[in-house]
Amino acid sequence: MTMTSSSFIYVAYIRAPQQKVWDALTRPEFQKIYWFGGHQESEWKKGSSWKMFMPQHGLTDSGEILESDPPNRLVIKWRNEFRPHLKEEGWSRCVIELSTENDLTRLSIAHTIEKENSQLIQAVSGGWPRVLSSLKSWLETGKALGDTRSVAEKAHA
Amino acid sequence: MSAFVYVTYIYATPQKVWDAITRPEFARKYWLHYNVSDWKKGSRWEHRKGDDSGTVMIDGTVLESDPPRKLVITWARPDHSKEPSRVTFDIAEYNPGLVCLTVTHDQLEHDPGMAASIAGGWPKVLSNLKSFLETGRSENIWLTKNKEG
Repeated sequence: MTMTSSSFIYVAYIRAPQQKVWDALTRPEFQKIYWFGGHQESEWKKGSSWKMFMPQHGLTDSGEILESDPPNRLVIKWRNEFRPHLKEEGWSRCVIELSTENDLTRLSIAHTIEKENSQLIQAVSGGWPRVLSSLKSWLETGKALGDTRSVAEKAHA
Repeated sequence: MSAFVYVTYIYATPQKVWDAITRPEFARKYWLHYNVSDWKKGSRWEHRKGDDSGTVMIDGTVLESDPPRKLVITWARPDHSKEPSRVTFDIAEYNPGLVCLTVTHDQLEHDPGMAASIAGGWPKVLSNLKSFLETGRSENIWLTKNKEG
């Protein structure tokens, strides 16, 4: 890691088969359940375009699939599209890796950008734990998380 | 790396999360190790192995204690061969029945070995804590072998 990059790293262990976690990450009908109503459009093949939509904002992020090795590894070239100060930061890279450890799936996210003190990375550092907590709850209990924004955040939305 | 931060959202009350961290009978279920202290500011605390030996793996001092919202402890090797690091548990109720738990492990500059070890350990412990509180089930997270391996 160079001194001029920013990164968000997260690892979660989920009691679900690896293929199921992969499907949850890549299929819009599942994303809509745990990603707070949002979904993504892509063919999930190397070179495919990738777009994320949220109900309250429409298109929020876009990019391209740089690597795809189902159900093990996905690399997305990722740019924010709906907040000008984040879009200005340009392309980030999100590496998603899955592996099986005993009865658990280990899911790791490494989201990085070649920019110091990146506001995009600050934003996704808030978002990823919500999404991944929701994903884990949904796969383990059948119940995803509801709205995890605090009262203050809602007031500013 | 000098600070490790992990945020997780758990369907539970702050009191349940506090108890899961501070009470041995709960911690043994998902951490497999357990923590012993009276959890008052200035008190000593110990992180012990969950087997019969009860070996002290980590010890330290309670720096701040505000049950069930906030706990700050030093985190030291029992032989005190390195400067201790610090762990902060912030337990916030986001929505009724939903807790946002933030674990910040910092002041690790003097102990890179510990920094590497806790970066691997906390995601296992906190994932298992969430599963334990939401489903009642937990796994032996310290088994390291992959099924295929």
